[in-house]
Amino acid sequence: MSLLELRGVHASYSDGGQVLHGVDLTVQEGGVTALLGANGAGKTSTLRAVSGMLRRGGSLRFDGREITSLRTDEIARLGIAHVPQGRGTLTGLSALDNLRVGSARRRDRREVERDLERCLNLFPRLRQRLGSTAGNLSGGEQQMLAIARALMSRPRLLLLDEPSLGLAPKITVEVFEAIAGLRAEWSLAIVIVEQNADLALGMAQQAVVLESGRVAIAGTAAALAGNDDVRQAYLGG
Amino acid sequence: MNARIRQPTVPWLVRVAAVVVALAVLVILPQQSTPYDNLQITLVAAWAVVIAGLNLLTGYAGQISLGQAAFFGIGAYTTAITALHGWPVVLSFALAFLLPATVGALVAIPAVRLRGHALAMITISLPLVAVPLAKRLDGLTGGSQGLTTPIGSAPTWSGLADDQWAYYVVLTVAAALLALAHVAVRGRTGRALSLIRTSEVAAVTTGIPVRRYKMVVFALASGYGGAGGFLYVYCVRFVSPESLDFLLGITLLCSLVVGGLRSSAGSVVAACFYVYVPNLVGDINPEKSSLIYGAVLLLVLLFAPAGIAGAARGLWRRRKLLARKLATSWPAPSTPTGYLAVAGSTETSQEENGGLTPTRSTASNPSSKTR
Amino acid sequence: MGALQQVVDGLSAGSIYAALALALVLVHRATGVVNFAQGEMGVLMAYVAWSLTSAGVPVLVAVLAAMALSFPLGVATERFLIRRFHGQDGLVIVVVTVGLLILLNGIVGAIWGYVSKPFPSLFPNEVIRLGGVAVTVEQIGNLVVLLAVVAGLQIIFLRTRFGLSLRAVADNRESSALSGLAVNRLLMAGWGMAAALGTLAACLIAPKIFLDPSMMNAVLVYSLAAAVLGGLDSPVGAVVAALVIGVAENIAGAYIDIIGTDLKIAVPLLLMVVVLLGRPQGIFGRREVVRV
Repeated sequence: MSLLELRGVHASYSDGGQVLHGVDLTVQEGGVTALLGANGAGKTSTLRAVSGMLRRGGSLRFDGREITSLRTDEIARLGIAHVPQGRGTLTGLSALDNLRVGSARRRDRREVERDLERCLNLFPRLRQRLGSTAGNLSGGEQQMLAIARALMSRPRLLLLDEPSLGLAPKITVEVFEAIAGLRAEWSLAIVIVEQNADLALGMAQQAVVLESGRVAIAGTAAALAGNDDVRQAYLGG
Repeated sequence: MNARIRQPTVPWLVRVAAVVVALAVLVILPQQSTPYDNLQITLVAAWAVVIAGLNLLTGYAGQISLGQAAFFGIGAYTTAITALHGWPVVLSFALAFLLPATVGALVAIPAVRLRGHALAMITISLPLVAVPLAKRLDGLTGGSQGLTTPIGSAPTWSGLADDQWAYYVVLTVAAALLALAHVAVRGRTGRALSLIRTSEVAAVTTGIPVRRYKMVVFALASGYGGAGGFLYVYCVRFVSPESLDFLLGITLLCSLVVGGLRSSAGSVVAACFYVYVPNLVGDINPEKSSLIYGAVLLLVLLFAPAGIAGAARGLWRRRKLLARKLATSWPAPSTPTGYLAVAGSTETSQEENGGLTPTRSTASNPSSKTR
Repeated sequence: MGALQQVVDGLSAGSIYAALALALVLVHRATGVVNFAQGEMGVLMAYVAWSLTSAGVPVLVAVLAAMALSFPLGVATERFLIRRFHGQDGLVIVVVTVGLLILLNGIVGAIWGYVSKPFPSLFPNEVIRLGGVAVTVEQIGNLVVLLAVVAGLQIIFLRTRFGLSLRAVADNRESSALSGLAVNRLLMAGWGMAAALGTLAACLIAPKIFLDPSMMNAVLVYSLAAAVLGGLDSPVGAVVAALVIGVAENIAGAYIDIIGTDLKIAVPLLLMVVVLLGRPQGIFGRREVVRV
């Protein structure tokens, strides 16, 4: 069944500027969906609308439950973890505290410790930096920390907003390999926004192309990747 | 179609008419009313000057000050002391303006480098130092007893009672000072100040000498505080450390916001508010009025952030809008252009609506404070 | 020996400033607001404690009850007043909190009047002589209470999930909400805790200077100075700075003739000016206090 379902979702900033004009979108359980499109097409806004960080209307359902009127923290507690653009670590806290914040709402202590270990295996670089202030980590480490923090809440849906932004190519590969391995190990669905279409299509099953706040094309990642017209028109060749 | 056409907030002719009528009333009034009422109106004029000074600093330049009471106090004491020693009134006045202005400029040296919280924290302490200082210098200031001073008596040729004489003198001087302040913030200076208020960085990049502007405004505001102190002593003939209480500086800022920032009329409204609230409370202990001051301020902030003057202007504007709406609802040939122009004018610049709200900080994200 | 006496007196006064400074830091960290009404909120609740003692409640119980009642006062202030102005210019927030200051001042005056009232001390009125220095039990008590408060806060902030959440929200609201933290409730809790601390400060100083609607004005300036010196975001910094200020003002008052006891208030003011000019992030702080 579908885990996340958006029907005719529109969204606007608090100053009134509308950014989404009726987005329809379905995310299947356990799949990776790539969200593509040009700058300003509404990719980030779609994620922010799901997390309740924009004023929004239409219908958003998560696991069959209407979430359109919920607050950001309530949505997060339902099992949606959002790693925003520019990482969104808690820069003044230690890396370990960041991870603890991720699991702050959980009561299953033993599982939390096990998940912590799994995160550190996923991103071995973090292990040495646990005591460091998050703001002092490198860009790549902060991105890893942000993803690990999201995982610590044991989400069912992970929203990743441009995880490769500003990272060195080598680090990007490292991050994406980790992301690709997530699905099997953590049993979750992923929606990933990415400028680099090839990178995203390479790991996704489904793909959605946005244009001017609406869905332009949706289909399997393979079909979109193989369609030259689509590549030409939306994905920069 | 040009939505940028600015409708004058209140038509020019109406303004002039209002001022003329008000002047006429004010000239005739003291002949008819009791000495008590005359004193109250005189006090409004004196405080309007103090508040207009604060308006220059906080309203136009955006530099918060909770210490205007200290400068008021310096002016008041200067007046009282010089008058006791028989100095000419004009000299008293000049000193009551210049001395606080100088002190203000000195305070400004560190203050111009600060903004917001920091400036508020420094200025809130000024009255707390000023009061014990006034008590300490008792040889000069009469200590906690205060000073009674012979000033503001009506000359015999005028044929006026003392209260009437003080009324005319204080109102005339206050009107002149208010007019000067009104003119000072028009044009280039006004634009520079509004840029400093909204974005200091932008002001610097446009080549505005920000610190010099801020220092001059700080000195001017302090001078106005002192001049207000002169006018106060001129009609009350008494000053004591009580008159520069800790809460005074705060109350003045509150009154200013209630009256309306960046508005000359607002300063007068603010002074009326400041002077008449204790009367309305009708208690011997004027401290009780802080309840009203605080409550009204919070209500104004919540529901009419542009202050009373701003709200009145808004009503005036809406009156026109309402009329246009009525007109368009009739099948009369009212063009949508006209309506648009008026609708556009409701989103006028900050100077015009004088409110607190428009200068929102860029990010509502609290993480922005990390920068 | 005279200087040592001044140090002891200073530490005692400093611990009271520290309690209020901690409240200011707590609120500033959580919401980025300097709450100029923090002291006055304490005054209101100290009067409540006074009313309880007048009704025969033991003073310790009365003070604890007043602190407990302060919590909802702080919560309501955040919920119904401060939050309405979230994201607005710093000028507006300052005006809001000073408005609250005079409102509360007026409320206290209207209910309890303006005549100073004696407030019973939490501690027995005894003097201990330690090698020529007279130390009152009250002075020791103030310091002990402060240390207990600091230790308690450290445990809450560093050892509990609640404290971790409070730190997270203070660091980044949006990011914390994305981790499922109930940001609004945590902000209210921060204000509630701060209000309780402010009440504690008011109840500790009241026996010395008597209850009066304006009793906390000077204390507020001392505590503001301490919070600024400490960097506004550092609880430990604020406490150390408050103790330093307490000692400095007493020594300056005793040994510098121009200052004397009446102008001691100029000491924190000068310290604040110097710090804000030279090192705006405070002595212990990491962040910029002043946006220029």
